[in-house]
Amino acid sequence: MRILLVEDNEILGEAVRDHVAAQDHAVDWMTTLEDARASLRAVSYGLILLDLRLPDGIGIALLKELRASGNATPVIILTAHDQISDRIEGLNSGADDYLVKPFDLGELSARMLAVLRRTGGNVSPVIRLADLKISQADRRVFLGEEEVSLSGREWAVLDTLLARPGAIISKAQIEEALYAFGSEIESNTVEVYVSRLRKKLGRDHVATVRGVGYKIGAPA
Amino acid sequence: MTRRLILWLTGAATAFWLIAAGLGVSVMHDEFGEIFDGSLQETAERLVPLIVDEMDRRQGEAYPRRDQTDDAGEEYLVYQVRNAGGELLFRSHDAPEAPFDVPLKRGFFTDDTYRFFTASSPGDKIFVQVADALENRSEALNEGSLALFLPVLVLIPVSVLLIRQIVRRTLAPVDDLREAIEEKDGGNMAPVASDMLPRELRPIARSVNHLLVRLQSAFDAEREFTANSAHELRTPIAGALAQTQMLIAELDGPGRRRAQQIEASLINLRHTTEKLLQLARAEAGIGGGAESVDLARVLELVVTDFKRSTPQPDRLQLHREDGAALVGTYSEDAFAIVLRNLIENALLHGRRDEPVNIRLEQGGVVRIVNGAVPLSADEMAVIRRRFGRGSTVASGSGLGLSIAERLLQQMNVGFEVLSPATGRADGFEVVLRFGAAAS
Repeated sequence: MRILLVEDNEILGEAVRDHVAAQDHAVDWMTTLEDARASLRAVSYGLILLDLRLPDGIGIALLKELRASGNATPVIILTAHDQISDRIEGLNSGADDYLVKPFDLGELSARMLAVLRRTGGNVSPVIRLADLKISQADRRVFLGEEEVSLSGREWAVLDTLLARPGAIISKAQIEEALYAFGSEIESNTVEVYVSRLRKKLGRDHVATVRGVGYKIGAPA
Repeated sequence: MTRRLILWLTGAATAFWLIAAGLGVSVMHDEFGEIFDGSLQETAERLVPLIVDEMDRRQGEAYPRRDQTDDAGEEYLVYQVRNAGGELLFRSHDAPEAPFDVPLKRGFFTDDTYRFFTASSPGDKIFVQVADALENRSEALNEGSLALFLPVLVLIPVSVLLIRQIVRRTLAPVDDLREAIEEKDGGNMAPVASDMLPRELRPIARSVNHLLVRLQSAFDAEREFTANSAHELRTPIAGALAQTQMLIAELDGPGRRRAQQIEASLINLRHTTEKLLQLARAEAGIGGGAESVDLARVLELVVTDFKRSTPQPDRLQLHREDGAALVGTYSEDAFAIVLRNLIENALLHGRRDEPVNIRLEQGGVVRIVNGAVPLSADEMAVIRRRFGRGSTVASGSGLGLSIAERLLQQMNVGFEVLSPATGRADGFEVVLRFGAAAS
């Protein structure tokens, strides 16, 4: 999944970027609101990690702009403002969660997962799709009783599709998720990994919507 | 001030009434004396020619020694007619039989019983002495005085009531101003309305408003400083902690162990910083609220936070009685800090195998109950002190309860700690009483 991180503190930003990237997500790290706005205009993100106090303004302003423009990308606020009134304001402005600094990176991962499950319409930590059982927390996939081993790129594609089960995910969105691996994205890269997923999970789980993208079935 | 003003005005008015009445009596005494004396003299002088004529007419006849004409009623004035030798020739019927012990000399004379006027015929052959009983004069003076004092006695309580009413009405704007100033605290710095105040009080209201603006600025600066400090302290710790956790993920062997020790120190530092920032906020007086807020939502948010971060989320149980609410002019931030400290204490120091029950009850009552060995009165006193930790072996700063208590004082919320808990033989209970107005 492609994630936008907006954080002006270099030490923290670098650690968060590396940690999230290590979870096989593609991370664009911006340190100002202006850069974040430019990135949002250019790329469709699966999740935004947003600091509130930035050199050129307050993160809430960007959040309000996003929601006002109809952009429903999940947003987790990362801030040193721990007051409940700040938090209520953040949630009222459209944030999906609120994490107060200093936080554990493990907790950040858990919150990201929870938000993605919630915004994807799936509130269970374990997703069941027919004979598939997917545990996003520990990134394990079972076909029936047998565990299936997925590569990082294959997991990234599956994770992107699982963000919104039943909804069509465009090829561009899947490509953005694969940017995390740093390699060049060829024109048929997505098709290659979708094909590999189908071989491992069964042909029926990932459907092609011709000319639009791909979708994975709604959870059982 | 109102009471003193009423007392002084009433006292002064009463004193003036009494002095005026006393002066009236004094003047009346003098005037009565003049009037009575005038009548006495007039009577005596009128009697002289009449008696001389009568005596001339009856010359040689036996003369009655006592006037027989007016014995029908009691006499107000009595008289005696005496010759130059002092012999009593004639008297009115109430006059004493013995001659008056008064010299035969024209003019006024007073003894213990009467006021006299002596008039004489030409040549001083006949003396008429008319007497007015002093008792009659005293009676007239007493009745006159009573007529003056009686209305005063009625008017004094009436004037007290009137003065009280006037003073209260006049000083009502002062009371209004006092109440408006009393309402001001850390959460209510709105200017005092001065338009409706009398001209004399407006400068006071203006000065108070000026002071409030300066106080608000000072509070804002202090809160801003606390907020900035929070940001400046938390962000580097967050960076260090995140980098350390990345390092732990990348390292093996002794290096990893050292990194884990750094992580543990940073987590301790995070906790200490948190407590000190909360303490700073409590000292900065964030307890006052400016607008009506729903604290039940804050309660749910804080409990949800704890459920997400504690390894035993089911241990926290939130119960909300049907119809229970918690709405009022409070500080959400202060209440959240209070809850975090109390719930953290309950989780940390309560029995691990027992739930922490958080109840929102009707009447604006919040109870936080955890399992624990009952505490003695001494231990209860110790845990309420800053840095007081009682006999617990669990880690903690000893600041939580004192921070909560300080903020609750600012919020005017009742605070009780009980051990054993209500209806139990053991346990620890914290009760927050917001009052029926918040429910």
